[in-house]
Amino acid sequence: MNRRTAIGGILGIAGLGIASVSVLKYFKTDIDISKGKLVNYESLISELVDVIIPPTETPGAKSAKVQNFVINYMEECASIKEYTKFFNGLNDLQETCLDSYGIPFEECSDIQKNEQLENLDSGLDSNSMFMKISNKLRGRSFFNILKTLTIEGYCISSVGATQHLAYLPFPGKYEAITTLKTNQKAWATK
Amino acid sequence: MTNQTDKNTFDAIVVGSGISGGWAAKELTEGGLKTLVLERGRNVEHAKDYTTALKNPWDFKNGTHLTNKELEERPVQSSHCNATDKHFYVKDSEHPYIQTNPFKWIRGYQVGGRSLTWGRQSYRLSEMDFEANKKDGHGVDWPIRYKDLEKWYDYVEEYVGISGSKESLPQLPDGVFLKPIPLNAIEQHLKETVSEKYSDRVLINGRVANLTEATKGRGPCIYRNLCSRGCPFSGYFSSNSSTLLDAHNSGNLTLRANSIVKKVIYDEDKKRAIGVIIIDTITKEEFSYYAKIIFLNASAIATAAILLNSTSPSFPNGLGNSSLQVGHNLMDHIVNNASFGTYEGLKDKYYEGKSPGTIYIPRFQNLNSETKNKKFVRGYGIQGKGERENWQTKSTVGFGKSLKEQLSTPGKWKFFLGGRGETLPNYENKITLDSENKDQWGLPLVKVDFKYGPNEIAMMEQMTKESEEILLNAGFENVGSYRTPPSPGSAVHEMGTARMGHDPKTSVLNKHNQMHDVKNVFITDGSCMTSSGCQNPSLTYMAITARACQYAINQLKSGLL
Repeated sequence: MNRRTAIGGILGIAGLGIASVSVLKYFKTDIDISKGKLVNYESLISELVDVIIPPTETPGAKSAKVQNFVINYMEECASIKEYTKFFNGLNDLQETCLDSYGIPFEECSDIQKNEQLENLDSGLDSNSMFMKISNKLRGRSFFNILKTLTIEGYCISSVGATQHLAYLPFPGKYEAITTLKTNQKAWATK
Repeated sequence: MTNQTDKNTFDAIVVGSGISGGWAAKELTEGGLKTLVLERGRNVEHAKDYTTALKNPWDFKNGTHLTNKELEERPVQSSHCNATDKHFYVKDSEHPYIQTNPFKWIRGYQVGGRSLTWGRQSYRLSEMDFEANKKDGHGVDWPIRYKDLEKWYDYVEEYVGISGSKESLPQLPDGVFLKPIPLNAIEQHLKETVSEKYSDRVLINGRVANLTEATKGRGPCIYRNLCSRGCPFSGYFSSNSSTLLDAHNSGNLTLRANSIVKKVIYDEDKKRAIGVIIIDTITKEEFSYYAKIIFLNASAIATAAILLNSTSPSFPNGLGNSSLQVGHNLMDHIVNNASFGTYEGLKDKYYEGKSPGTIYIPRFQNLNSETKNKKFVRGYGIQGKGERENWQTKSTVGFGKSLKEQLSTPGKWKFFLGGRGETLPNYENKITLDSENKDQWGLPLVKVDFKYGPNEIAMMEQMTKESEEILLNAGFENVGSYRTPPSPGSAVHEMGTARMGHDPKTSVLNKHNQMHDVKNVFITDGSCMTSSGCQNPSLTYMAITARACQYAINQLKSGLL
């Protein structure tokens, strides 16, 4: 975890356009692993997605079973490179929690959980130019993968689409221009 | 629908059941001809076989994502399909072809073909398009003009149901329209800006085959915008929802799915085609079927492949190929790297229902001396859509409660614009057969050899520049374009491989879509196109098919075929 963050910093300073070959080589030292391992991480992933999308007046990601979506996507759809990054990210996070607090992430307090994810989140707009270049150069970060999948898994879940967003499966009509109502929710689908 | 039959002789055979094959089936059967429709793919029954149409987002295990295994099976198709509609696209692994240069051959092997998944954009060609080759010397002259097709456009539009607005533009003739799909707030804003800032162009409601009003017992569209899954409400036009059903109701249709046409049988004594040999895709057995006339509607590349594989002593280079033009002059529309931008205003406006339509900025180059472009001939139109960003497109910061709020709040307005441009006919752009490499049915693989020329490249650069400029002029921010343009083939408008023309030495079909060399073979899919125009072509295929069918029926009844 610290190893990766430190290098990320160097890369940022060095200028993303002309990252040196040696730095790129260093990043390739993540050895690809084989799939099928995430089933044992369900409880950790459940807690993680629930920090990213917590229960509020609408249910959170855990009760929307977003952890299943994340695991299924990773096992069936992700490239080995992303899978490896994700798997290592989970283990690094767990290691950091044990080092820092002596307990696994699942048992951490809300404050500790937030602190850990804040450390991982670059704080940057996920669609910013910096993030796009960074993603292109070294692949999406662990946090970026986790956050993107959590958003998708939640917004396509029954809970997310029908309770947190506005889901209208059979509109029956198209009103091209409406006036936005106070607190009107975004449509769940396009 | 009628299926397998032991009868092997018909009045007519139609090869292919996509958008043009469906029309041939309808017109020929309603004209009283006992007609066999051959489809290489599986049967898809209207509504019943739209297996994903009523599913919710959460009913798909991985959302819209294809799995790694599905991607491996679909290295080409995967750019055009996702988990919700993949069953209407082939697996490339089962139907390989050879690309000399990257060319996407997007295919839907099933009853209804790609009419199930088409973009539904429906535009007429204009007199300008039919005259273009003659005027600037590219390709050969079309043997027909707008007036020859006009009433057939009326005829098919009235049946299909095209929503659109009358605009009186010489480059884009009006048609028989249902009421247009209205513009949303940002689209209206862009329309007004275009009118204000440009004298050479207008923004109009896209013309789409979505039924804004019920038509012939079909529809109306209920605005789910999930068309590519098949519509159980018959809200848009497909062969399955309409032409094939009417053909069936005529009592004259026999439909045989899972039937690949291997070759057209040519009788050396009679000097005519007498039938086709098919391979049953499941049993791999061969069968022969006979008819007085044959319509080839397998789509441009597949139709050319059938002709090239139909060799005989009279036609050693393929049926009706004395001109050596079969397979050549392949065209597709240029699709540029789409441009986009976001808009800060109109935050109090939204919409209800999902529009399956688009906006369209019809061609505004090389229409007359004032609009002459120095870098390229012909032109392009721009299609696009405006919407408010949602969780799929919006930028988010952080996580937790604040992220959750960002997700449920409608985002900024965002607009996408993409050019659709004309490709010139070029003999070097072609499909051939590779007899060294065979598919699982022992048929030679199709090899596609296609490259954009300087005209296409110049036009592509221009359309991206113009699209960005239009957005900037309308006050959009974060304006940009995707960097890599899609590969040729991406428009899924391949055409031109058996072109119409006056001269049998330089063209394959005459003005009635009859083969110059074999008068009882008609070709009315994209193969017949002498030039491409820049308009989405399906409507023209439909009109040309209906016209050719009437001619064929009359000829047959007069004993001339």
